[in-house]
Amino acid sequence: MLHKYLADTAGAQPDKVAVIHGKRSVTYEELSLGVSQLAEFLVKEGMQAGDRVGIVLDNSPEYIISYLAVHKAGGISVAINSQYSAYEFKTIFSDCLPRVLIVEKKFMKSVLDAVPDVSSLMTILIMDNNKAEKLLALIRKRIAVPSHINYFTMQDITRDNNSKSVCPSIDKKAVASIIYTSGTTGDPKGVMLSHENFLTNANSIIEYLHLTQEDRIMVVLPFYYSYGTSLLTTHIMAGGSLVIENSFMYPNVVLDKMLEEGVTGFAGVPSTFAILLNRSNIRKYNFSRLRYVTQAGGPMSPRHAKDLAEILPEADIYIMYGQTEATARLTYLDPEDFHKKPGSIGKAISGVEIELVKKDGTTAENEEEGEIVARGGNIMSGYWKKPKETKKVLKEGRLYTGDLAVRDSEGYLKIISRRSDIIKSGAHRISPKEIEEVIHEMPEVHEVTIIGAEDEILGFTVKAVIVLNEGQEIGAKAIQKHCRERLAPFKIPKDVVFVKELPKTNSGKVRKHLLKKSEEGIKI
Amino acid sequence: MEQIRQTVKKFILENILFEDDENALDYDDSFLEKGIIDSTGVLEVVSFIEEEFNISVDDDELVPENLDSVNKLAKFVNEKTGS
Repeated sequence: MLHKYLADTAGAQPDKVAVIHGKRSVTYEELSLGVSQLAEFLVKEGMQAGDRVGIVLDNSPEYIISYLAVHKAGGISVAINSQYSAYEFKTIFSDCLPRVLIVEKKFMKSVLDAVPDVSSLMTILIMDNNKAEKLLALIRKRIAVPSHINYFTMQDITRDNNSKSVCPSIDKKAVASIIYTSGTTGDPKGVMLSHENFLTNANSIIEYLHLTQEDRIMVVLPFYYSYGTSLLTTHIMAGGSLVIENSFMYPNVVLDKMLEEGVTGFAGVPSTFAILLNRSNIRKYNFSRLRYVTQAGGPMSPRHAKDLAEILPEADIYIMYGQTEATARLTYLDPEDFHKKPGSIGKAISGVEIELVKKDGTTAENEEEGEIVARGGNIMSGYWKKPKETKKVLKEGRLYTGDLAVRDSEGYLKIISRRSDIIKSGAHRISPKEIEEVIHEMPEVHEVTIIGAEDEILGFTVKAVIVLNEGQEIGAKAIQKHCRERLAPFKIPKDVVFVKELPKTNSGKVRKHLLKKSEEGIKI
Repeated sequence: MEQIRQTVKKFILENILFEDDENALDYDDSFLEKGIIDSTGVLEVVSFIEEEFNISVDDDELVPENLDSVNKLAKFVNEKTGS
């Protein structure tokens, strides 16, 4: 289990730096101790094996401690996007029924607004150093605090290093985490990943990235998504270090930190690199220690890929592909092939078999289009409490990704299209259905469809195309305001267009591809 | 400078926060610490102040000292416009 790798490194190199966050530097020994103490606390509080623990924290040493402590205590971690609204938290909590929540103080309002009907919830641990009673007194002045829940803070975590461990032994096939994703159909689904899934995938990634304990990665991606999780798991497993920077909104601050800490690695999604290339001083820096850069989370434009290679001539650039349903990673393009195979996602990582399957179920030949179907120790157990949805994508132990690709004569894969309406915007995967349902709550709205509009930085932004009810008048701002009350900021439509009707098929399905192709949208 | 403050605050309230309530954003609220704006939101704000006040923001000026609150933004714009 990952926490054992942490403990091993803590034993062998207690003073090795594990995490740097702002001015804080946390050693492996300190991290391991924090994990043990929190795990003991959770078990003593009555947590049982398989209980879900929701984590609502920004990237931090406390996130890593919480994540690993839940696993050590036999629980299932459910890390949730901290930007979520109360409505979105409630959707997740109602599905996974957590026993415990670990929450940063600044997110308490949204979380407390979401929990009154969550009957499973017994405990909230607030990441704060004040005493619980004092903190709750302050919180009660502004927010209703449900009384049936036990509240604790970091002050309540016992400091007894000598007590005998009460933590259970862990089966590596047991579910370690549930990561919520929109998959290909739009409804948020909890991907169940076992300890074995994480260890298998991390091993494969460590192998092709040649990660060692000398490596130090700059982390700007959120840990609560699978790509961010993979940075945590791989670098802890390899005994390396993580440098956390949550201020990517000021990219030069991140670049300064990279130089200051002598990072050897950097991970980003296409919008990360678009921002660095277009609006930062990256061209003025000399990152002599930077040896690897990884890119996943969607296709990077050839222009940006070329610019990046020119600006960072000493670094190996790894283009990668994967899905949450595959823990994180399925394929990678070796840096040696970066210039030879532009636009390719490379080949399967070790331990993974990839087949391209045509619509008729047969295997695609070279240069023939087929759906990427994967088998390996990193493939999920299924979706939490959604057996029907699971059966659609998991067949005979193989994951049907929904992505269409071709394989060339040398075995290199290239994505052709993604068989879904999911909008990839920055680091986020956005379900149009979820936003459509929210906008449709407005009485003025007759019909709405959400599409992705191409954006140079983000890849795609959210665009709403709306048909109003007869005689109704409402502006874009009102639509956006309504969305703001229900949804995380990154889901709010950037553009809102009003039309007389939506183009549809004979069966009444909206022809989104026509709207996407239109330069100005359908004329009103 | 007061007019610059009001213009910037109004833009952020209306286009980033989608809020009517003036009290939703304090002039000294740190966008970073409060999680008010993300990395693309900052670029939207920068585009706005460049267009609205006819200034050019260099890449090395994209730092918290210049941008991380309404007051800091207003001060930065004020210095750039020499008003």
